[in-house]
Amino acid sequence: MVLEALEREGVELIFGYPGGANLPIYQHLPDHPKLRHILVRHEQGAAHMADGYARACGKPGVVFATSGPGALNLVTGLATAYMDSVPMIAITGQVASTQVGRDAFQETDVIGATSSVTKHSYLVTNINQLPRVIHEAFHIATTGRPGPVLIDICKDVQQADAPNVPPERLEIPGYKLNGHVNLDHAKAAAIALAEAERPVVLAGHGVLLSHAEVELREFAEKAAAPVGTTLLGIGAFPVNHPLSLHMTGFMGTGWNLKAVQNADVLMMVGMRVDDRVTAKLAGFAPNVKTFIHIDIDGSEMGKNVRPQIELVADAKQALKAMIPHLPQPEKSRGTWLAQIDAWREEHPLKYTHSNGHLQPQDVLIDMYKRCRNEAIVVADVGQNQIWAALWWNYDRPGLFLNSGGSGTMGFALPAAIGAKFARPELDVWCVAGEGGFVMTAQELSVAVEHQLDVKIVLLNNFSLGMVRQFQDDFYGGVRSQVDLTHMPDFVKLAEAYGLPALRVDKFADIGPAMDAAERTKGPFLIDFRIDPEANVYPIVPLGKTLNDFWEAPDQ
Amino acid sequence: MSEDRLRVLSVVVEDGPGALSKVSGLIRRRGFHVRAISVGPSREPGLFRMTLTVDSGHAEVDQVRKQLERLVEVVEVEDLTGHDVHSRELVVARVAAADLSDLIERGAKVLHSSPTGTTVEFAGDGGEVGDFVEDLRRHGVQDVVRSGPVVMRRTA
Repeated sequence: MVLEALEREGVELIFGYPGGANLPIYQHLPDHPKLRHILVRHEQGAAHMADGYARACGKPGVVFATSGPGALNLVTGLATAYMDSVPMIAITGQVASTQVGRDAFQETDVIGATSSVTKHSYLVTNINQLPRVIHEAFHIATTGRPGPVLIDICKDVQQADAPNVPPERLEIPGYKLNGHVNLDHAKAAAIALAEAERPVVLAGHGVLLSHAEVELREFAEKAAAPVGTTLLGIGAFPVNHPLSLHMTGFMGTGWNLKAVQNADVLMMVGMRVDDRVTAKLAGFAPNVKTFIHIDIDGSEMGKNVRPQIELVADAKQALKAMIPHLPQPEKSRGTWLAQIDAWREEHPLKYTHSNGHLQPQDVLIDMYKRCRNEAIVVADVGQNQIWAALWWNYDRPGLFLNSGGSGTMGFALPAAIGAKFARPELDVWCVAGEGGFVMTAQELSVAVEHQLDVKIVLLNNFSLGMVRQFQDDFYGGVRSQVDLTHMPDFVKLAEAYGLPALRVDKFADIGPAMDAAERTKGPFLIDFRIDPEANVYPIVPLGKTLNDFWEAPDQ
Repeated sequence: MSEDRLRVLSVVVEDGPGALSKVSGLIRRRGFHVRAISVGPSREPGLFRMTLTVDSGHAEVDQVRKQLERLVEVVEVEDLTGHDVHSRELVVARVAAADLSDLIERGAKVLHSSPTGTTVEFAGDGGEVGDFVEDLRRHGVQDVVRSGPVVMRRTA
């Protein structure tokens, strides 16, 4: 009955792993040829694949896992999706309802273990609940502020038979779609922004989730307001646009941080305003008189920054409500935009590319020249993530995927695999450090088995680079447990898994290796041995304000 | 604990095995702290009412309500802090003393009496119950059980 319900919800792809407590579902899987099942090598891989799938195409990713260890292996993946508001359905097997609470074999309180990392969860102990629960779960996962929903189904329920009647309508008294929409202040917000002397707009993941990029652009152009994005908001506004401030936050661009710190009106759209965006909260945007916050989730209002004007709504809905009220921008706007241009000149992104080592930025610049905005880049976590965010001019949503909120190492490879399943027509590039890569490298088998065109760009610096950089700069220069010199030979590792690979350690070899990757059908890995001392810049020292950002040292 | 961080919330939840643990789990992980709780069926079948007194910790006080509203099991949250309300707590106590006339005069009711002691109950607002518990000391208190408040908005 589970599988029929999934077909009814339009599911085409499932990432999963069978085990004792979900075998009844797997027994019937061959009877449902419309449901394609991808056998992963570890449940965490399944969760990240479903996440990457959902981020790339917007449909909820579906995961199967068995009880106990199977379900617990999903926890990191659920947390990753939850922090970034990604729709996902996890269906876990549970011991028989008569066994629950008796510490049966592979029994774990999965609801207890996952309730803090799911939008909602259900324990199904009776077959009659199942059609309603599955229908509700998809509704909850995909509407409002999306998120993962877990359905823990007792084994005896999986084996039970009952008339499979789809629920006619949804009745979830505690679920208010789109929260408590409040657009009363749309006009006031539009006027405050357009009449500001030094307005700045910051856009987050919510803009992508509500497909509001067109409205955002119209709004920004009409209001002549510069727009920056958060790490997860990348793609909400074209980086090449004259009004673009590129990425904000404690590793954001210098001109973005200058603009935020000098703004008098700051409008934050579809974002949580977390510590990575604000750096030291007390010194965040100190000249702002009016904070405008737009978010679908009312609990975001004042959670970190207290707005003077709040709009609780989907980003698209809010921007649409504001645009008609936009007056002509304030006359002094030209001065403000010229000032931002001056900051852009004064604080460009830069890096050292003449010290004899291969530089990660060189690799990314080569990739960008090839792919432009016709490929999906899935980054892992750490320096590789920030380099991939900054050294690429993303111009639309869905091209840059990464674990922003949760910062989950090991995300990139499985998420890239999921993204490729979602968007087979696009090239998918996985950018990872060697530390994160080995955390989920077993999923290479999935890429090989399905001959997925996923190109893996390993930025191998023989250490946990971001941690090393933090230790160097903020923890007394003590390098502690960051040395990764004892790692597999990645070319041989790739061969062992059955995919071709190359090693590159000098600038001149980047192009030929990339050519080989592009020419090769199926997965390909390039082990770029980069400068072990390469750092991420700009960076705001821990505990400091956005004013205090450090730039790449001059050569 | 500072008084201005305390919120009194009337929360209607779906009756189910997970509702209480989801509410309490949320309160814990957001850095809030439950100071008092009482739970019982509501007028609607399938719905329960929780009356919570919650310390909002370092968050904006309104975060408690907003975060609770995000739970699917939570149907309604009413913040009663600072409103004109009836707030009633119940205390049941066993005391050694035989002469309880002053307690009875204050409204206590005898539930059980034996040669070794007397069991009384008393209901009132938080202050009254606090004073009552304080007074019990003079009567050789043996045991006290106190409920969290149940709170209803006063209507004209």
